[in-house]
Amino acid sequence: MTGKLALWAGLGLLTALFVWPTLFVGPALSQDDMTHIITDAFGVKQRPASVFVHDEHNIKAEIEDDCWLCHHFDGKNPDPMDSSAGMPCVDCHPVKADPDQTPLMQAFHKQCKDCHLEKKAGPIACGECHVRP
Amino acid sequence: MHSIYTFVTGPLVWVAFLVFIGGLAGKFVYLTSLAKNKDPYVFSYLHLKYALRSIIVWLIPFSTRNMRLNPVMTVVTFAFHICLIIAPIFLLAHVIMFEEAWGVSWWTLPDAVADVMTWVVLASIVFFVVRRRVVPEARYVTGPKEFVILGLVALPFLTGFLAYYQIFDYQTMIILHVLAGEAMLVAIPFTWLSHVMLYPMIRGYMGSEFGAERHVKDW
Repeated sequence: MTGKLALWAGLGLLTALFVWPTLFVGPALSQDDMTHIITDAFGVKQRPASVFVHDEHNIKAEIEDDCWLCHHFDGKNPDPMDSSAGMPCVDCHPVKADPDQTPLMQAFHKQCKDCHLEKKAGPIACGECHVRP
Repeated sequence: MHSIYTFVTGPLVWVAFLVFIGGLAGKFVYLTSLAKNKDPYVFSYLHLKYALRSIIVWLIPFSTRNMRLNPVMTVVTFAFHICLIIAPIFLLAHVIMFEEAWGVSWWTLPDAVADVMTWVVLASIVFFVVRRRVVPEARYVTGPKEFVILGLVALPFLTGFLAYYQIFDYQTMIILHVLAGEAMLVAIPFTWLSHVMLYPMIRGYMGSEFGAERHVKDW
């Protein structure tokens, strides 16, 4: 009897540890529930992932319908008719970039900070985005 | 937050570096003209080879008799100076700020290594404080000013550490960190922190006189 109990307890524990979290992987990758900028491109990370609650940010910034502002093709002259939404940033911004490209880390930093500085709103110092859990 | 942060990381950085470099340049001109008037032989003694020999020998751990007589101080002071200079220059966050401002970047330390180096700097400063209170020959030349200056050196590292680990209010801490770094730079020309420049000047002179004139070592 105790053997059966232990088996079920073990199975329950395994489910709790490994199976249950995978239920959340799907939705966590869609922008609706996006809370951080998650990318594997950097390899060993020096800082915690940047906090970015996609939908909340866009409501606050009043850019809900302006995907092209961030999801651009030409960073200097983003075109309202030309959105790169759905494409991973790293496709155009490799970690080690050519001289005519903006490398990934700079692309992330510029994307956020340039706008925050211009609007005088939002985080601009390292630890404001790279918040320790 | 925005206006204070952009001010301390923008115009104030320029002011701090201008005072730091300009102050040291001014001190160099003042001291050399003072020597020219009071003791012009300083310049006739100067000898490049022996000046460089002295500067280099005193940069090697345990190379001088005094360093061998005080092994603990030697280890601490070398570790302290190496970490003090290397950690801020090669800190990832600092290099990223230069990269974003000027488009130039260089090799960086892993944060974990910079972390240990910060601990070394802070622990060394505690050692120096204790030493200045305990060792008679150090206590004799120590006043309150010396502890203030040690504090001024400790502060950028302490606030940098607290900001990095986001202990206390981050926004306040990061601004304090930048201000502390700027205060330390500004203090260099006007305190004994100017040994950053006086070291090669004094060793250059001592090396020249001992090496070229008296034909002996100055260590």
